Amino acid sequence: MQIQLNHLMPIPLQDKLQQRSSDIWNREVTFQQGSFVKIKAPSGTGKTTLIHYLYHIRYDYTGQVAVNGQPWPSYSKNDIASMRQQEVSVIFQDLRLFEQLTARENIVLKNVMQGKPYYPPEKIADMAARLNVSHILEQSGRTLSYGERQRIAIIRALVQPFQWLLMDEPFSHLDEENTQRAAALIAEECKARNAGFILTDLDNDQHFAYDVHYHL
Amino acid sequence: MRPFFDLLKKIIQTGVGKTRFLMAAVGLGIAMLLILIAIQAHTNFSQLLYSSKNQNETADFLVINKTITNAMMGQSAKSIFTPEEIANIRKQPFVQAFGLVTSSQYKVVIQAPGDLHFATDMFFEAVPDSFLDVKNEDWKWNEGDRTIPIILPNDFLNLYNFGFSLSQDLPQISQETVKALPLQVNISNNQVSDQYMGHVVGFSDRISSFLVPASFMAWANQKYGTTTAVGTSRVIIKTPDPSNPTLVKFLEDNGYTTNQDKLKFSKTRMIVQTIVSVVGFFGLILLCFALLVFSMFIQLVIASCKREIQLLVILGTAPQQLQRYLLKQFVPLYIVVGLLSLLLVAVLQYWTATILAAHQMLISPWPGVLVFAGMTLVLALVYVVNWLTVKKYVNNI
Repeated sequence: MQIQLNHLMPIPLQDKLQQRSSDIWNREVTFQQGSFVKIKAPSGTGKTTLIHYLYHIRYDYTGQVAVNGQPWPSYSKNDIASMRQQEVSVIFQDLRLFEQLTARENIVLKNVMQGKPYYPPEKIADMAARLNVSHILEQSGRTLSYGERQRIAIIRALVQPFQWLLMDEPFSHLDEENTQRAAALIAEECKARNAGFILTDLDNDQHFAYDVHYHL
Repeated sequence: MRPFFDLLKKIIQTGVGKTRFLMAAVGLGIAMLLILIAIQAHTNFSQLLYSSKNQNETADFLVINKTITNAMMGQSAKSIFTPEEIANIRKQPFVQAFGLVTSSQYKVVIQAPGDLHFATDMFFEAVPDSFLDVKNEDWKWNEGDRTIPIILPNDFLNLYNFGFSLSQDLPQISQETVKALPLQVNISNNQVSDQYMGHVVGFSDRISSFLVPASFMAWANQKYGTTTAVGTSRVIIKTPDPSNPTLVKFLEDNGYTTNQDKLKFSKTRMIVQTIVSVVGFFGLILLCFALLVFSMFIQLVIASCKREIQLLVILGTAPQQLQRYLLKQFVPLYIVVGLLSLLLVAVLQYWTATILAAHQMLISPWPGVLVFAGMTLVLALVYVVNWLTVKKYVNNI
């Protein structure tokens, strides 16, 4: 799955962004399949907005986000759902877990959404153990701390097939050790699928061996 | 899809307004019951009317004439059917066979032989042979025959035997005797008068007239007829079902009349049909309300879980999956309701059949095919309406 940006420009930020240069906004950008992409951006330059455009849950832009050569709006709702089940996964900055489900159920939801479970339960238990969240799997999403939710959201994003993983400040509430563990797990899962990722963050970091760096 | 749907059950709460939903289900049940009962009652009634098991042959012959009103008295031409009127009667769907009643255009006097001292002025009429209920090989006349076969109305003999003869102190006469009597028939017009022999060959319950073979009537009208051919004032039809309300309405609309006794079923049938239609109509109204409440319930469920459904769609749940899940929450209940109504109708039908059988009225103890078809149709309608509602609201999110 190839993602291309053709002069993408968020309408609300238009005036502000025209006064500074950017590697992404209002340019032709192609993200090559399987590459690890880091997008560094100061606050307020449209990091989350970009992730939402790429995942097609916000539409207030000019220009185009083309997926496999077709702009997002040309896909039907059912096509988009199928792509979100099979080809593109996401970790939101605001995590978006279901509070009425337990941590495990939040993970399983994505594991079984496309029909047959993608990973067996042991694999999920293994991932939880690596991120130190085994003990909270049966707790309701409501009672989890932000750092715990972040790790559950990471695991949830990894228990489905994908070619691209979109991440919006995925380690913002994790300590250094947990960040290392999470980054290792993500890299491993991406390699296993031959998949790439697009990660946005405020600062430089060494969590991954990035192929490409952009400044937003 | 099972594990996924199990999780959806925790996310999408269908418990909101559950009582309303159950009441709508009860409403659907009653609606379905009324509709099915109306259909079954209709089936039963046709079985009673038309089934060969119930023995009562309904096809009947009706002699139709115009009603004589005070205004028409003295103007016999007004009671005559015009060719257009005849064509109109002939083309009615309830007319299986059609015949004209030809009347004589000459004077007839009948005398009993010997010292019976019986003589009467008379008339003859003729109908096509296929309309007669008397089968007799003597019922034929060829030019040159001096003997005319005659069919008398049964009522006529009864009137004589039980009315006239008793009051006049005359002997009662059996059918056999009448058939054996050689009658003297004088046929005349203003110029000529001829004598023939009359021979009664049978008695008709169907046609209240003095009948001679059509061949004789044609010949005699030609020979003795005084005027140019007069029109027909009585016609006879064969109808498969004299209780058919359209037949009764046709007669009324045109000012025609016939033996009212034969039409008596029609009223009963109209009443039953009206009741059945009213029951069915209420069933349909109730069904509409049930559908409305279901749609509102679905709307409520979707609206109350709007945020959850939005997040599910963001995470990649297909609208199709949501539609299937939501329908799965409701449809089994509809099927249960449908089957319960069917069961109830089956019990009612068995009970009705048992009661009617005691009166020699035979109907099937099972619900008819139409009932099953009706149930399927109602369920299909409920399903389609639900599906459209779910689709509409899920896609709007």
